[in-house]
Amino acid sequence: MKGFMRDGGVVRGTSIAGSSAVKRRPGVLDPGSTFLFLLVLGLLFLLPIAVLVLYAGARSWQFPQLLPRGFSLRAVEFVGRQYGAIAASLLSSVLYSLAVVALSFLLTVLPARALAWYPLPLKGVIEALFLSPALLPVMTFSMGAHVLLLRLRLSDTWVGVVAVLTVFAYPYMLRSLSAGYQRISPDYTVTARNLGAGFWTSLLRVEMPMLLPAFGAGASVVFLVAFSEYFLVFLVGGGAVASYTGYLVPFLKSSDLQIASLLTLLFLIVPLVLFFILERWMSAVFSKRGLNNGADKP
Amino acid sequence: MQRTRNTGLAHLLPLLIPFGLFFLWGIGYTLYGAFSGASTAGGPTLQHFRHIFMDPLLRTSVLHSLMIAFTSASIAVAGGTLLALGLWTLPRRVQPLALIYKLPIILPHLTAAFIVMILLSRSGILASAAYQLGLIADTAAFPDLLYSNSKLGLVAAYVWKEAPFAALLVISVLTKLNFDYVHTARMLGAGRWFTFRSVVYPHIAPVLDTSFIILFLYTLGAFDIPYVLGGSSPRMLSITVYNLYFRRDLAVRPQALALLTLLFAFSLVFVVIFFRITRRMRGREAAV
Repeated sequence: MKGFMRDGGVVRGTSIAGSSAVKRRPGVLDPGSTFLFLLVLGLLFLLPIAVLVLYAGARSWQFPQLLPRGFSLRAVEFVGRQYGAIAASLLSSVLYSLAVVALSFLLTVLPARALAWYPLPLKGVIEALFLSPALLPVMTFSMGAHVLLLRLRLSDTWVGVVAVLTVFAYPYMLRSLSAGYQRISPDYTVTARNLGAGFWTSLLRVEMPMLLPAFGAGASVVFLVAFSEYFLVFLVGGGAVASYTGYLVPFLKSSDLQIASLLTLLFLIVPLVLFFILERWMSAVFSKRGLNNGADKP
Repeated sequence: MQRTRNTGLAHLLPLLIPFGLFFLWGIGYTLYGAFSGASTAGGPTLQHFRHIFMDPLLRTSVLHSLMIAFTSASIAVAGGTLLALGLWTLPRRVQPLALIYKLPIILPHLTAAFIVMILLSRSGILASAAYQLGLIADTAAFPDLLYSNSKLGLVAAYVWKEAPFAALLVISVLTKLNFDYVHTARMLGAGRWFTFRSVVYPHIAPVLDTSFIILFLYTLGAFDIPYVLGGSSPRMLSITVYNLYFRRDLAVRPQALALLTLLFAFSLVFVVIFFRITRRMRGREAAV
């Protein structure tokens, strides 16, 4: 890939002479390099997924076969048989991840507002402190957080899992919302307040709709972080709280590659579906209110 | 609406639950355990740290983790930058196709480990391809990428998962750079590499540093990928800590906490650097 970047895509002096029919800006990749770049992307990111798809439907695929020998529905049938357990663990993961999103939002919306709009002493330090749980390795605080949850009798419970996941996922929401608040002028709120709206009314009805894109961005990251986490759920949930990662790991470590591949693919589908729903919901809200959803578009 | 300091501070109160209660308590527990002796009567002690430095296995684990984290974060940032540059200079028509680079961002680390296992193991797809090409005669001839001491499989899994993430961060900064600068440099005869070095790189350097710190710290303490890709010693720090904390008798538990304390202190330095860079970046943006 490096070699390609070095010698590919160079629009040489000849093109300035105007011999090429299509006018191309210097610096933009030419068709050959574009094709190469997309090919490399495909090999790196699409091929592994294609291998998973092939494995999921393979009867057997062993060294040194380049392609699986025969197809079988064994993995699909297994998922069909285990439907209850798989659906239960997926649903549990989706639910606690959504709860983490909701809780993160509730906990960070006012702090984000303060960081963006209010004069605070040592603002940079405060923000850095509150964002640090996302940067520091999870293990440094999770052992203690687990002990605290044990004492609060929240270990091995759904609430405990949501709590501990929120501790390291909320910074993404905080960062996103405070960036969102920075893009909104406080004047709207001032106007609403002068017209007689209370604090909560203007927060809910004036600020929230404008904050929606920032919420969407933060929510996607927080959801992914919570949904993907294995260690913390395993530590605090202790097996009592079902999770898809917890369901998956024994298969990943087993030698049954067919079933593990199919279960891995399921992992891809859930966030994609949820992001699609989020996108539709947000654009529905925007068109209903006649707001411009194109913050990034000119 | 009065925007005073005190209302601002009151706004911050909700964060006292996750940050003040759980996070600080968690760190406190780690530090307290690391410095406590066997009996409750004695004062703080350094014996657990001494133990770590004396134990060659623990020492190797620390150095090994630093190496893996440094290597994978460096390659991921470099690869992510190439990816971002490619995406940035891609003709607009085909840009939707390039969105496939986001797939690893959606997939969890666990699955990155699994994919690497399928592709790079001695009987994996790459080994099969090498056999078909006549490069190797059997599985034993294929290099043991996953379980040898170099643990290249770990690096591959982290890079595959994190390079697109780095690309995402770099591209968010790149889009703020006026493409006309590149255009002009190229028109005036600057080569590809020179244009990158003198126009693009100064603009993206801070985000490369911050991306590196994020990925380096994450890899240093992460559990999921080494747990799946496993293998024997040298072990990643997270696995060592896990084994000390849960698998052996309670007497060695403080050693696990001492390791975590070292990890915490080490990470803290990078966290401080991280926020200094982001602050400068924002200052620069405000000045524009």
